[in-house]
Parts: sequence; C-alpha cells; structure tokens
Amino acid sequence: MDCEYLKDKRILLVDDERELLAMVESILRAEGFGNIAAASNVREALELAERFCPELAILDVMLPDGDGFALLERLRQRGGYPVLFLTARGEDEDKFRGFGLGADDYMVKPFLPKELIFRVLAILRRSYKEENPLVKLRHSEIDFARAEVVKDGEHIPLTAKEYDLLSALYRNAGRIVTIDALCEAAWGDNPFGYENSLMAHIRRIREKIEQSPSQPVSLVTVKGLGYKLIVESGR
Amino acid sequence: MKSVPKLIRRFVGILMISSVLILILNLVLLFVVGMSQTASGSPYTTANEIGAALQRTGDGYVCDAALSERLEQGEFWALCIDDTTHQVVWSTENLPDEIPRQFSLADVSKLTLGYVKDYPTYAGEAEGGLVVLGYPKDRYWKSMWPTWDYYFIANLPKTVLCVLAVNILFIFLIYVIANAGLLRSVRPIVEGIQALPAGEAVCLREKGLLSELAASINRTSEILRSQRLQLRKKETARANWIAGVSHDIRTPLSMVMGYAGQLKEDPELTEEQRRRAAVIVRQSRRMKNLIDDLNLASRLEYNMQPNHLARENLISIVRQVVVDFMNLDIDGRYPIHWETDESLTVCPVNADKALLQRAVSNLIQNCINHNEQGCNIYVRLTAEDGKCCVAVADDGAGVTDEQLDKLKSAPHYMVCDSDNVEQRHGLGLLIVKQIMDSHGGETTVGHSEHGGFSVELSLPSGSQ
Repeated sequence: MDCEYLKDKRILLVDDERELLAMVESILRAEGFGNIAAASNVREALELAERFCPELAILDVMLPDGDGFALLERLRQRGGYPVLFLTARGEDEDKFRGFGLGADDYMVKPFLPKELIFRVLAILRRSYKEENPLVKLRHSEIDFARAEVVKDGEHIPLTAKEYDLLSALYRNAGRIVTIDALCEAAWGDNPFGYENSLMAHIRRIREKIEQSPSQPVSLVTVKGLGYKLIVESGR
Repeated sequence: MKSVPKLIRRFVGILMISSVLILILNLVLLFVVGMSQTASGSPYTTANEIGAALQRTGDGYVCDAALSERLEQGEFWALCIDDTTHQVVWSTENLPDEIPRQFSLADVSKLTLGYVKDYPTYAGEAEGGLVVLGYPKDRYWKSMWPTWDYYFIANLPKTVLCVLAVNILFIFLIYVIANAGLLRSVRPIVEGIQALPAGEAVCLREKGLLSELAASINRTSEILRSQRLQLRKKETARANWIAGVSHDIRTPLSMVMGYAGQLKEDPELTEEQRRRAAVIVRQSRRMKNLIDDLNLASRLEYNMQPNHLARENLISIVRQVVVDFMNLDIDGRYPIHWETDESLTVCPVNADKALLQRAVSNLIQNCINHNEQGCNIYVRLTAEDGKCCVAVADDGAGVTDEQLDKLKSAPHYMVCDSDNVEQRHGLGLLIVKQIMDSHGGETTVGHSEHGGFSVELSLPSGSQ
C-alpha cells in the first residue's frame, strides 16, 4: 500500500537523551520522513509545538522538567494530533496510564528501527486517511469510502458488520487476525461466543468478494485460529 | 477457638463426676459407721430382751443366770414397774438413788420418750410390768419428739427427686457461669494466638487472670510484625533495584539496537559487515528479553505484580499469542500447528490475561530459542475434569532425561537461598512457573511425542 503521502507529516520528537534523539531522527529520515523537530525537555517541546504545529508527537515519559504524561495533556490542549510514547518505563501500569490519557501507541525501549517505522506509519495511516482507499483483491475491489464491493463491474453494498470485519482484516492485511479479534471488532469485547455468527458473516463476505466462495483466495481461513485478507497490491 | 469450650466441658465433666463419686463414697462411709454404731444392739431391743427374761415369782421378780451376768457386765441400770401399783418392784443394784421408786403415768410417758433425771431411758415389756433401762447420762442422745407429717413422708420420694433436680440445676448453673467467665477471659487470648500466623496486628488487654499471657502474645505479635516489615522492605528494595537497573539499561541498549538495526539494512556496507550488525541486533534483542524477564520474574517472586484476575477464554488468549508468532515468522522456519479440537471454542478461566499471554509466549519463544535450525511447534488446548490445559511441544533438539531431571529439581538462581548447590539459569520457564503458581495452576515439563521438548500448563477451570 502506498504510504508516500504520509512521509511529509511533521513529527515532533521529545527525549532527554540527545544521542537517542539523533538516532530516532536518523531512523525516520532514512525512511523518508523529512519534517522532524526535536526537543529535550518539556519547555522546549511546548515552544516547538507552538511554532512547528506537529502532526505526530513521539514522547519520552521521564523528562528533566516534568513527565511525558503531563506533556501529552498540555499538547492535546493545543491540537488533536496523535501521540506515541517511546519510553524505558515498561510496567503495565505506565502503559495503561499512557493509553488512558489517549496515547495512540506505547513502545518500550529498546526497540528495533523497523518496529518504530511500522508503528509510526500505522498511527499516521489511522489518523490521516488517504482520499480514496480502494483496496484491490484478486477478484474484486473494496471501496471503504462507499462501503461497497466492486466485482465484475457490479456494486455490492456491505452491511455494517461486514464493513467492521473487513476493516479489521484490512488494517492487518497479509497477517492472521484471530477469531476473537474479529468478534471484538464486530460485537465489542466479549471473550465468549459469537464464533458461529462470525462464520456466517465470513461466508457472506466471501460471496461478495470471491469468485468461488468455497475456494477462497482473498479471505483465507487459518484453521482454528483466524482469517487472513490477502491484498493484491501488497503491503 | 472450638477446642476451648471442649476443654472446659471436659474439666467440668470431670468435676461433676468426681462430686457424684464423693457423694457415693460418703453414703457408703456413713452406712459403715452407722452399722458399727448399732453393732452392740439397740437399747430398745435390750430392754425387751430383759423384760422377756425376767420371771415373776409371787410378789417379786427373778432373773436367770445369763441375764444376771449380762446385767453385771452392762453399763446400764434396770428396774421394773408394776402394772397396777406403779411401784418399782425389781431393780438392779446399781440403780442411782435419785431415781424415784414410784412412777405416775405421766412419768412413764416421759421416760418412754426421753429421760429420767437426765438418764436416757428405754422401756420394755415384762410379765405384769414394765422394764426400764437407764444408761449413763453421756451415753445416748434421744430425740424426744420424733413425729413426721404424714404428707411429708408420703411425698418423700418426690421431694428427694426435686431436691436432686434442684441440685443438678444448681451445678449446671455454676457450670454455665464458670464456663462463660472462663471463656470470656480465654477467648481474646485464643483469638490473639490464632491471629499471629495470619500476620495481623494483635493488641490484647493486659488485664485480669491471663494478663501475663496476653502481654507475651502482644510482644510476639510486635516482633513478628517488625520482622515481616523488615523482610518486606528488603524484598521491595531488591525488586526496586532490579527494576531500576533494567530501566536504566534500556536507553543505552536502544541506541545499540537502533544503530545496529540501521547498519544491518545499510546497502552501502559489505555482506560481512551487515552480518556482524545482525549479530549485534540479535544479541541486543536477547538482552532486551532478559531485562523484561528479569524484571517480571523479580516482581512475581516478591509478589509485587498485581494479578488483574478476570474471567477469560483461555482459547482466545492462546490463539492471539500463536497468531502473533505466526505473523512474525516471515521465513516460515518455525511453523506452528494448532492441534486443538475445533469443537472446543470456550475454556473459561479466572486469570490475568497479560500474564497468561506472557506464559504461553515464553513457551513458544523457548522452542524458537533452543532450535536455531528451525522446528515445528505444536499447540494443543484441552478441557477436562474441571481443568484447562495448554500443551506446547516441538520436534526440535529436546532434552536428555538427565537435563529434564535437573530442570525439575535444581533451584533457579532467582529463588535459590544457598550458594553451594547447582543453580538453574534462563528465566523463561521460571516466569511460566511463577505465573502458573500465582493462578493456582501447574507446570509439567517432559519429552514431546513429536521428539522434542514439551511443556503442559494446567489451570483450574473457571465456572461457566
């Protein structure tokens, strides 16, 4: 999937370790991100945010003049852009607190450059959607903007549940999504049940997107575990 | 606390049985003494015998030889009053002078009931007269009016029963009051002793009968609490130390890992240089895992990891972990085979989801870590006999029986308290075991039917 339109987003980095800032910046630049500003404390971060108007903030939790959680709250007062925590604090309570304050992701140091890039792109993709996301499959295309499938020139509408399921599968295209995660996407968090309903919905989706629903090639079953959506343009 | 009333009951029981036994003993003694008292014969009988033995001769009386002998040996005196004249017609020689020689009917009535001139007297019938025996003044005491209400005598059995009942009631009352009093003073002591092992603070009133005991219990409680506090402080300090070190090492390790990761992908470097960078990445990843594991293991060991228990579907938990590994295994060197029966869709357990995910993930990671050449991994869930089991096995290198024994018996360095035994390293399995222990589950390691290593986790099933 094309991510180039995300590469010119403005990214604000905040960490008290200058060397780490330099490294993260180099990782992002190597990936093609060009608009990056870095701050090493809360005061600098707030000043920069004012001038730079970031579209994504990557924050450390422990800063010399305050903590990242408080910084997140103050940044949020000025703009609604996504925030990723990148911190050495790996306890569950810290993660819960971060997510509770509305962070979009929480990464614990140390990390691999690829993982950082993957997560940054995922957040940006979620927050800044492409104008017309048309997803190409082997025998059809999904038009999420119109909530319909185009197969052999025919426009087939998707129901709300089918849309939810396909979105969850598309967000993880090429990867297995568990039965439970799909149930949660469609019916909310309930660890017990809905498996039979899910199977019925999957069957109906296949009728819409596959040439031959009994031998699926785009929406494949991973027995006992979940389903995988295979997108043609690759991802 | 139940044992205390039992103890008191036993004591009171012994007390009651002994009182009854003493009562019986007293009755027996009384009977024996009474028997010995009357062994010499009742004075009434003696009087009648003497009356019968006296023979009337004309105007006087004579006694036979046996009687004379008896009269001489006896300590009493005797006389005989004539029926018609009321005069003494016969008497023994030792008859005191003060005894009158003539008796009116009133005198006779008195001497029958009681005394003549303070001598206890007893009357017996003789032919044509009345024999009177007189004993020394200090020999007998006579009850002069031995008259009983007929009603009283008739009701005697009932009265005795009533008195007995009242006695029993009285003893029971004493028992209840004494018991209650004793219990009142013993109960706080017993409760205090019972609270000691639970680690609660014990503060008893140091007053009354058992004040010394109460004071000792209070002191023991203080000592125990301070010891526990010290231990807790030490454990917290150790866990904090581990947490601190693992936190501080994360940022420098980020830089090692980050730059090495960039170098690994750098097309301008030679193949050999990129291979070396890849080794640095792999090793720093091991360090990262080690830090995570060390921190979690220490928190679990010192019970500092809060368990957020909730009703979860074990299948969902394991499925997510398996899928995460499958999604990561891009080159397909570690295929995971899901061997769970498809009809099994729900395995309810009360568990901390994040911790269980960690346990299963450690098991799969273990298969990967110990089989660098790649291996098949088999995951199977079963539910039976109120238990949910997860088995993770592989067809890799496996372990020898000797290694398996060591794995089961050698203490881990995280939990080993002496330095002269062989210790076990590697935190993955230790964490799994700790997590299972904190959930009341079991961990079984062994050989896999596929030829490699196998671990089975079993958790008590949560109610549906």
